[in-house]
Amino acid sequence: MRDISMILKSVWKSLFVFSAISVIAVSTVNAQDAKEGRTLFKAKCSSCHALDAKLVGPALKGVSDRHSEEFLLKWIPNSQGLVASGNPEAVKLFNENGKVPMTSFPELDETKVKDILAYIKEGEPKPAGDATVASSTLAKDQGTSGLSIAGIVAIVVLAIVILVILGRASKLLERLILQKQGIEIEEDVPLKVGVRKMFKNKKFVMFFILCLIICLGSFGWMGMWNTGVHTGYQPVQPIKFSHELHAGVNQIDCQYCHSGAFKSKNASIPSLNVCMNCHKAVQARDKYDGEVSPEIKKIYNALGYDPETQKYDESKAKPMEWVRVHNLPDFAYFNHSQHVVVAEDAIRKAKGLQPTEPVCFACHGPVNTMEEIYQYSPLTMKWCINCHKETDISGQKNNAFYAKVIEAHEKIKKGEKITPALLGGLECGKCHY
Amino acid sequence: MKGSTLAMNKNKFVYTAFLAIAFAATFSACKDKRSTGLEYARNMYDPIAYNPDQPNKNFNDGKTAQLPPAHTKPVGFTEYDEYPNTKEGYEAAGVSMVNPLPVDTVNLAQGKHLFTVFCSPCHGDKGDGQGHLVKIEKFSGVPAYQTGSSSRGGNMVDLTAGKIYHTITYGVNNMGSHASQISPTDRWKVVMYVQQLQKGQ
Repeated sequence: MRDISMILKSVWKSLFVFSAISVIAVSTVNAQDAKEGRTLFKAKCSSCHALDAKLVGPALKGVSDRHSEEFLLKWIPNSQGLVASGNPEAVKLFNENGKVPMTSFPELDETKVKDILAYIKEGEPKPAGDATVASSTLAKDQGTSGLSIAGIVAIVVLAIVILVILGRASKLLERLILQKQGIEIEEDVPLKVGVRKMFKNKKFVMFFILCLIICLGSFGWMGMWNTGVHTGYQPVQPIKFSHELHAGVNQIDCQYCHSGAFKSKNASIPSLNVCMNCHKAVQARDKYDGEVSPEIKKIYNALGYDPETQKYDESKAKPMEWVRVHNLPDFAYFNHSQHVVVAEDAIRKAKGLQPTEPVCFACHGPVNTMEEIYQYSPLTMKWCINCHKETDISGQKNNAFYAKVIEAHEKIKKGEKITPALLGGLECGKCHY
Repeated sequence: MKGSTLAMNKNKFVYTAFLAIAFAATFSACKDKRSTGLEYARNMYDPIAYNPDQPNKNFNDGKTAQLPPAHTKPVGFTEYDEYPNTKEGYEAAGVSMVNPLPVDTVNLAQGKHLFTVFCSPCHGDKGDGQGHLVKIEKFSGVPAYQTGSSSRGGNMVDLTAGKIYHTITYGVNNMGSHASQISPTDRWKVVMYVQQLQKGQ
């Protein structure tokens, strides 16, 4: 009897150890699979699929519940072959997704497909609480910055109050002591009477008026100089578009969106189709519990775009009304391309820009640090004139623009016929701007 | 008595004037960044023409930015209707379209500049599919020109000029159409540069 129980015990023990080992082994293998699968997913699948959103193809979360592994192992390497062979499940899937053929991946063997499926099942690995900690500390930081200012103000006010009370108390005590010693003290002159006395002094009144005139004059002078100058103007825009994120963190070139700046007078505000080049796929769902970011949703609403069906409905479109920041009046002509293409080198030299910085920073300031865009330069005539007086363009002989000017001068010297058309006089914009 | 009341009135006057100025100075000092500040003759700054993204009551849909009327096209506009955004259009473009520009240093330099601005954020400076946006995981699944395989069949390295042009014009998968940002001539310059990158140069 005892032997049997011993044997059973040892069997149990070994079974337990074996199962524990196998659980650990399986879980580590799974983790390895999912990690490998993630790399494969990012490389092969993510240009058409996301886990929790429909892109070109359907969202893949829960794909293993919808289809058998056997089917998926056949479908992923060669979906079109499966459709052609008349597999009913494959044909149904193909028809359900707008008959958009899925690329075949013959290079994905069984283990690779299983890796990918493991990743899809497990989802995006959570960054071990790092993100939440970071965001909470960030929130705390922001909170303290506001609180600390209020705290400092409160402390200062409290200190003043205490000082005043202490001062009064010490004065009262002093007076009491003096009274006890039998010394008569002169009463304080009341403040009101003192001030009245001061204003009877003609010299003081003259001085006071002089100060007043200087203050008022400089105030008025500054006011006049700043009339119509919008430096620092930072209106609220309909979408909280951050240049800091797009131009700074993502390092997208200014020209990608403002593609007019290098070929025309206007830098041009991009139309929403340019936003959709990226935001069809980039929806920041990870930051909003799987929902599309509310600001990106504004683009979709403006276009009448439905991210679920990926269709545009023009009847639902409500165009975006951006608020103009840089407003140059119609009576002033300014051409972006002349400055950022023809004069790029000269401007870079004059403003001392780094080679990594776009030439745009010369006038628009450090746009890659502006969460909200604001007007950096005054855009006054004095500001234009000063730059045109100081910028050195002597090293621009190889520049096509100046080469044309030199060519025209040579023609005039030789007495050849020269017409306004030769000098660009037929450009529409010379008259119609 | 009379003198003293006058003096008092003067005092009061000076007092209030001083307070008023101090008040005005303090408040005007903190400039409101949401406002354009003091303006004189604002109508001289407002454009006479309509801004493209402003409302316009002259059109039924209330927009200033209108499409060209039917059967008209802007001066210098290149039509691309014979190669529609379909698999057949893509294949046809791949067979029959050739780059009209000569391969020279000027075109290649401009192509490189345009590629850097419009393509390299995702495709990478070398066309290896490792652009900045891919590295920071905003985008993924960008194929390398040299080693990747095309989602429409074949290898990226074998893509012809017409196929690349078609892709820039209409986009594919997660890549959007870049026709509104890059003019047809500029697109051919980009194609020229991309074909250099395919060769790994």
